[in-house]
Amino acid sequence: MKHKLTILVFTLLTGLVLCTPVMAANAAEYESELAKARTTLLDAESKVQLWSTSDILLDDAAAAAASGDFELAVKLAIEARLHGELAVATAEREKTTWQKSVPK
Amino acid sequence: MKSLLIACFLFVVTVNAYATPEQDRLALRAFFAQRFPDLDLNEMINGLYAFDEGAREQWLEMEDFPPYEIAIEEGEGLFSTPFANGKGYADCFENGGIGIKQNYPRFDTGSGEVITLEYAINQCRTDNGEEPLPWLTGELAAISAYMAYTSRGNKMNVVIPDDPRALAAYESGKEYYYTRRGQLEFACENCHMQSAGNLLRADRMSGMLGQATHWPVYRSKWGETGTLHKRFMECNLQVRAKPYEPQSQVYRELEYFLSYMSNGMEMNGPASRR
Repeated sequence: MKHKLTILVFTLLTGLVLCTPVMAANAAEYESELAKARTTLLDAESKVQLWSTSDILLDDAAAAAASGDFELAVKLAIEARLHGELAVATAEREKTTWQKSVPK
Repeated sequence: MKSLLIACFLFVVTVNAYATPEQDRLALRAFFAQRFPDLDLNEMINGLYAFDEGAREQWLEMEDFPPYEIAIEEGEGLFSTPFANGKGYADCFENGGIGIKQNYPRFDTGSGEVITLEYAINQCRTDNGEEPLPWLTGELAAISAYMAYTSRGNKMNVVIPDDPRALAAYESGKEYYYTRRGQLEFACENCHMQSAGNLLRADRMSGMLGQATHWPVYRSKWGETGTLHKRFMECNLQVRAKPYEPQSQVYRELEYFLSYMSNGMEMNGPASRR
């Protein structure tokens, strides 16, 4: 009996975990990802390292959200944040490495 | 004794870390002299046409009826048209604005800013109650083309005054030039030093020396005459970096550094490029 209960709980939890990613995203989730993306992009901008792709992704995300496709909007906002994070990583690395290219 | 050694060490490190602008310029010329031992470096004011004989021949033929000629004529007309208050561009510049392009950008110790020629033209307008002109093409580029034309043959003479703010502006432009950026992670240096003279698709890439002597430029790709900052924006986009606004502090400081590197080279603007 105890064994069956364990299997039942395990099955329910597994189902819950598997179902979570395919649950439809909502406006709140989009706003949250958008805020994270904007914070990262501001950081990249302050380091003179924004990519031209970021604004395009945010515009597309806003268009997707406006049409009610929050799943796509969230995906694009996350991608914009990742582009920002990579730009910041370049900025951090270049802080010291750019001088190596200057002819001495 | 120990502190003396530390002081000497720090001095040596500091001197090596921060070369003067003139040391930078000479090191750059040495770099290109080594890279292109058979090339007269002064030819680099002609961009890719310094490296590519076939393209050079086509370009020289184009120079018989240069496409920037219209901009020069339009610019001359605009330059000599008085503002509503009766004053004109000639009142804003030394020597009446004739033959002075080689002195730009200059560092204004009053405002602590780098002033490019285009920036000064619009400053002249707003100081006289006129609306500023759009930065990239059109009337501003035409006035700049005329002023560049009157400066042909003069030698680039950008000055970095003994002011820590001027040196900081130069260093900022230098850092921008050598820093990789954008999704493709290219620095200006990657194309115009490492790969200068190499083919990028069908065109050879120009070298950094002389890159500031010939603006504004009529580019066939644009179908019109445009300013250097239009090209900066285009370069940024080509490596998928977000461009700055034309005449932003970042671009003005980049132009300051880039122009200083061409000091002593002949002014040959406006020019035509593919």
